[in-house]
Parts: sequence; structure tokens; C-alpha cells
Amino acid sequence: MKGLAPLFLGIFGTLAFSWMGLTVIPNWQIGHLNPQSDEEGTDTYPMPQSGMVERGAHVYAANGCIYCHSQQVRADYSADDIERKWGDRRSAPRDYIFERPVFLGKMRMGQDLANIGARAPVEQESPQPAGAATPAASPAAGAAPSGASPGPGSPSPASSAAASPAAAPTSPAPNASPISKPSTSPSPAGSPAAPPSVPHPNEPPTSPSAPVAAGASPTPVPPWPEVTTGEPPMYSAAWHHVHLYSPRSINVDSDMPAYRFLYQTRRISDAPSADALHLTGADMPREGWEIVPTFDAKCLVAYLMSLNQSHPLKEVRSAAPAPASPATSPASSPAPAPAK
Amino acid sequence: MNATGIPLKEPAVSAVAGDTEQLERAYIDASTRVPVLMFYTSAIAWLILGTLLAGFVSFKLHEPDLLSNISFLTWGRVRPAHMNVMVYGWASMAGMGTAIWLMARLCRTVLRYPLLLLAGAVFWNLGVLLGVGGILLGDSTGYQWLEFPGYAAIILFVAYTLVASWAVLMFRFRRGEQIYITQWYLLGAFLWFPWLYAAGQLMLFVVPVQGVLQSAVGWWYANNLLFLWFGAIGLGTAYYMIPKVIGRPVYSYHLAAIGFWSYALFSSWTGMQRLVDGPFPAWMITASISATILTIIPVATVGLNHHMTMQGYFPLMRYSPTLRFTVFGAMSYTIFSLIGVLISLRSVARYVNFSQASIAYSHLGLYAFFTMVIFGSMYYIVPRLIGREWRYASLIKLHFWASAYGIGLMTLMLLAGGFLQGANMEDPSLVFSESTETVLPYLRGRSLAGILLTASHFIFAYHFGLMLLGLGRKSTVPTFLNPVEAEGEEAHL
Repeated sequence: MKGLAPLFLGIFGTLAFSWMGLTVIPNWQIGHLNPQSDEEGTDTYPMPQSGMVERGAHVYAANGCIYCHSQQVRADYSADDIERKWGDRRSAPRDYIFERPVFLGKMRMGQDLANIGARAPVEQESPQPAGAATPAASPAAGAAPSGASPGPGSPSPASSAAASPAAAPTSPAPNASPISKPSTSPSPAGSPAAPPSVPHPNEPPTSPSAPVAAGASPTPVPPWPEVTTGEPPMYSAAWHHVHLYSPRSINVDSDMPAYRFLYQTRRISDAPSADALHLTGADMPREGWEIVPTFDAKCLVAYLMSLNQSHPLKEVRSAAPAPASPATSPASSPAPAPAK
Repeated sequence: MNATGIPLKEPAVSAVAGDTEQLERAYIDASTRVPVLMFYTSAIAWLILGTLLAGFVSFKLHEPDLLSNISFLTWGRVRPAHMNVMVYGWASMAGMGTAIWLMARLCRTVLRYPLLLLAGAVFWNLGVLLGVGGILLGDSTGYQWLEFPGYAAIILFVAYTLVASWAVLMFRFRRGEQIYITQWYLLGAFLWFPWLYAAGQLMLFVVPVQGVLQSAVGWWYANNLLFLWFGAIGLGTAYYMIPKVIGRPVYSYHLAAIGFWSYALFSSWTGMQRLVDGPFPAWMITASISATILTIIPVATVGLNHHMTMQGYFPLMRYSPTLRFTVFGAMSYTIFSLIGVLISLRSVARYVNFSQASIAYSHLGLYAFFTMVIFGSMYYIVPRLIGREWRYASLIKLHFWASAYGIGLMTLMLLAGGFLQGANMEDPSLVFSESTETVLPYLRGRSLAGILLTASHFIFAYHFGLMLLGLGRKSTVPTFLNPVEAEGEEAHL
């Protein structure tokens, strides 16, 4: 090749072409979206987040959550994300217009978090006894005499079984989080982890696609994979704190590192703090001490609780009529039990 | 197909001792000594640090409680630290070192303005140091491949400007009309990088684009960094080293031109395939998938060209360390690209998009291809800078085999584990944690591969240290991997 001019022009031109094509034109196409709202101008979605949520996003970035967790739900025709109940509909560009940075993610060593906030129990503030109605109640504790294994969302025996004293012996054990694995095959992995007091090993595991005895519920049971015997309802703020502090106390199979540096162990001055973690087993602090979240941890959890793409978008077809029947919506999955 | 014009073919060393061209080359080499060695030494220091971080990342992935209570050692910080040390510390600095040396040689002029390069190296090191420190202290920006906080990015950019302006200046002093293939790639790399980096920084931090477009810009940047920066330097180096070592011109100049331009055109359009099925207009992703498939054209032409050049000379890999590393890297480029095509197809991506397979892909590109080519070039260049030959053939062999087996095992583990992980993830009858549990044994295998790679890098760093201290062999014969039996072998291996 002779002459520099064609070389320079070519080098310049090829990248200019790609830069225009893959960044400038998309920016022109979807770079200036507005939130959608209904006719009255109310019910605006999405809304800008601020304060703790914004700071929480920075904690999320700083600690590299994105390297294991995605925040995008793929369409039902291209993947099984919706069937996994990670959302009722696929994610759309409009869902992210206020996110900065945006954490779409490229790896799922952990679950998708696009709708983690939507999965929180409705009244997550009040530590009501219905905490027992969390999915914890399902196969392990809810080893119902009938042999039926109620899924987390199924209304019937879950709450009563969990509230019954039969469930009590499971909690004191250090790793008393018998992860029931609703896999199609009776999983040998689940059994050894289960404390002997749990009478469930022979029970047919729940298959999300085939709700066994919960015939009343025509919809598939949300297959929340993690089942907790901890006190806070699953995906509530308190649950997130326990999970961040000690992931394997909630799910023995978890591969998540603990984020204990986001928590503070301190002596109880006069009364225990309201936000002290409800830990069990080996994680419990010494007598007279308590473990409380730092401000960063609170922000991170506030951020996680804010992740919610359950609001319908006009441009996206929802897989399930989400707001119509709360029982099927992930947002309220733990809720039906107390409602009953 | 006239390849005679290539200024590569040099007379064998044995020909005329006091050959002027020979002297001139030695003179040029000597002028590059300080800057190139500075880049190489820094790069190798970063390589060692990055390797230690990598081992840590790999082990922590299957032992999540390992030292997790210390904020700056948490997995989510060490991982980007490792990645950035390798990308900006090791690969970029080593690549620039090789590129500087090649530029001086191919422009056939002594290195001018060395202070530009020295300042560039100092600032670049400073930028990487601040950036990695920032990540570990929790200052990461959260954009993959661009995690360095703003203060580090600015310093990197200043450092880069110094190096690139040097490259352009050197071009003005070049002698001879012909611009060799390697120079196309190097000039491309030197001009593409600042645009990529500036565009990435501007569109993400200065005037940030909205929402998901940040991810599009991020992957556009990351993919182009892989292809147009590292890929271009790697291919350019291979185009120099292979013909040089075997003493034979490149098979076809025209093929090389087709390869270069199709490479620049198609590989720059890839990137969005990593966002497959994400919240984007489908045309963006489809365009990138098509471009990825079209990269088969440059892969085929470049591969064919190298193969035909090497035809009949493959046995020389038995002796020449440079050739062995470079050919390994050039072959890996083909594998890397073909796997890239495979995992970009929608039907496959559905399964592997969120799995460890994409890590395998990055490592194939950055390590099996780029790093191996750069190792090869270092084995060629360092003796010419120092005036000593590599001390131990056995260490070079160990380095090669540990690297080759290490990266091979790692790729296999991550690909196999990634495919199984993705398949389980896409099977909603299995709980999610089944998919991560499936991949754990493969991640342990990856850690094993990491141990091999760590050993290989320490061996290389030790050997390089000996060379720096002037403890190489004093000899006019290069260090061969195996004793050369036959007389009359090409002497300038």
C-alpha cells in the first residue's frame, strides 16, 4: 500500500461508520425517551429515583454486584426468564431511562434482579407474624401431612403448617435453612443439608410446572428457588440485610460472598436497635451485642427494593395480566397467605 | 501476488558480517532500548499483579467466604481490578512496547523524541495504579471495561496522547515508500484507541447517553478495544514476526489488504451481540451478529496468509521461541473468532449469554491470541535491546507449555461449564441455583488452570529479570528451544 492518505482515511472511515451506526443512530432512535403516563397524567412510570436509592446504586457499582447479577428480563420467545418469574414482561429501554449507571449485566452467577423489589412482600415494614407465611413455609416446614407440597404462592396449608409448632424445631439449627430444591428429581443434594428433624426427605419435590396438590391455583407456582426459615419475609428489607450479611444462612447453596463489611457489630446500649439483623445460629452476635447495617448497606437495600419493572409498558406485551390477579404476580407472592 | 517489495526479507546473518543494513538495524534497536524496556518492565510487573488478582478471583468464585470480610478484597472489587490490570496494565503496555519497537524498525529510522514515550509510560503507570486503587477502594464507575474512576481515566488519556503523538511523528520520519502490513495495523491501533477511549468516556461520563444506551456504548467500546486495539496490535505483530523468523516474505500482499480492510470494517461493528435479547432495538443486535459472522472473512484471509507463509516451515517451531508463541497466538485468533461467531448466534446465545462462556471468549482473545503473540515478540525483541540472549531454553519451554496448557484448560473448563450452566438456566424446571452449582466444578478446574498460568508468568518474569540484570548469555546465536541438529538452519531464529 502506498501513500498515507488512503490508509488514514480508511482507518478513520471504518471506525466512524461503526461509531455512527452503533452509538449515534441508536441514540437518535431511543436516546430521548420520556416516562409514560396515562391520560390524566398520573401513574407516571418510570420515576426518577433519588437519595438513598441513588447512593445505593453506587454501592452496587462499587462492590461489583453487576459481575454476577443481571438486571434484564428477556422476552418469553427468546428465553425462559419470564417462566422463571423474574418478571411478567420483558424489559424495555424505557425501564432504564433514569438509571445511571445502567446495570444490564452479562453474567448470572446469581439471579436476575430486574424485579427484585417487586418481589418484596407488600407490607414489608411490619414484622407481622405472617413472616412465617414466607416461602419458608413451603416444602420443608410445610411438609404437610397430606404429602402435598404447597408452593410458596399457593394459599392453602402453607401458613397454617408454618405457624404450627412442627415448624419450630427447624429454626434453631445453625444451618436450618433446608433448601428445598423444587427440582424435578428428588435431589440428593438437598437432603443432607436438611436437619434431621425435618420430616420432608421423602416428600415429592415441588415442580413448578406441575403444582401437585394446589389444585385450587390454576397458575403455576412461582418457583422461588430460595426458601428461608429465617424470620424476615423473603425479599423484604430485613431479609436482604440478613442475606447480604450471611447468604448461606438463607440458602446453603448460595455462591454469594458475604458483605459483612457493610455491617457494624456494636454493643447494645440500652435497647436493641430496630434495624438490628435477625440472625440465627453461628452468625448471631455475642450476648449484649448487635449487628446493624451501615448507611451504605441501607442504601444498597433501598436500591434493591426499588428495582421493579412490574409496571406495564405500552410498547411491551405482558406475559401475565400482572395487576389484575395479584395472586399470580410476583409482587405479592408471599402475601396471599396472610390474606387468607 | 508480487511480494518482493516487502522490506522484510533480510539476508541471513551468515551472509556478510559487516552488512550495512544489519548495522543500521542494530542502531535502530539500540535507540528503542530504554522506552521499550520501560514499557515491558511495567507490563510484566502488572502481569504479575494481575495474575495474583486473577487467582484470587478464581478461587473466591468457588470459595465465596475466602477473605470476604475485607471491603477491598471482596470479589466484586477484585474482579474488575484484575480485569483492568490485565487490560490496561499488562496488555496495553506490552502491546505498546512491541508496537513502538516495530514502528521504529519499520519506519527504518532511529527512535526520536524518546522523552514523549518515557513520560507516556510514567503517566500510564500512574493512571493504572490510581485506577486500580480506586476500584479496590470502592470508586468503580460500574461500567464494564471502563471501571477506572475519572481521575485515572484522564491520566491514562494524557499518557496515551503522548504515545500516539510519538507514533504519528515517527511516521513523518519514515524512510522508504512502502508501508508494510504491520504498519497498517499499528497505525490503525494508534488512531483507533484514542477515539474509542474518548468516545467511551464522553458518552458515559461527560455527556452521558440515556438508559440502556450506556450499555450499548460500553460494549461497543469493550469489543472494539478487543479488536481494534489489542487485535490490531496482535495481528500486526504476527505479520511481522512470522515472516521475519522464517526468513520468507508474506505469502500474499493482496490477501493481507483484504484481511485488513475487512477486519477494520466488520470487527468494528461487533459488540452488540453481547446484549442479545436485551432491551434494545433488534436491528442493533442483528447488525452486530451479522458483522460477527462476516468476521469470518478476515479470519480466513489472515489465517490463510499466515498458513501459506508458514507452509513448509512449521518444523521451525521446534527451535524458535518467537515462532512457537506467535504461531500459537495466530492460530488462537482463528479459534477465538470462530467461537465468537458460534456464541453470537441467537440460538446459541440464548443459552450462553449469561454464562461463564463469555469469560472464556474474552480470555481466548486477550490471552490465547494477544498475550501469546506478545510473549513471542518479547522473546524476539528483548535480546536485541539488551545484547544478551535468553539464558535458559528450558525456562522458555516451561513458560510456553504452562501457558498453552493453562489457557487451553481454562478455555475448555469455562466453555464446557458455561454451556452446561446456560442450559440449566434455560430449563425452568430446575431451580436457578442448580445452574451455578453445575458450573462450580468447572470453576475449580479453571482455578487449576490459573495455577499453571501463574507458574508460567512467574517463570517468564524471572527470566526477564535475569535479562534486565544483564545475566543473559553472551552469544551471537539466539537461544533455541531445542538444539539445532542440521547445519544451515535459518540462523536468525
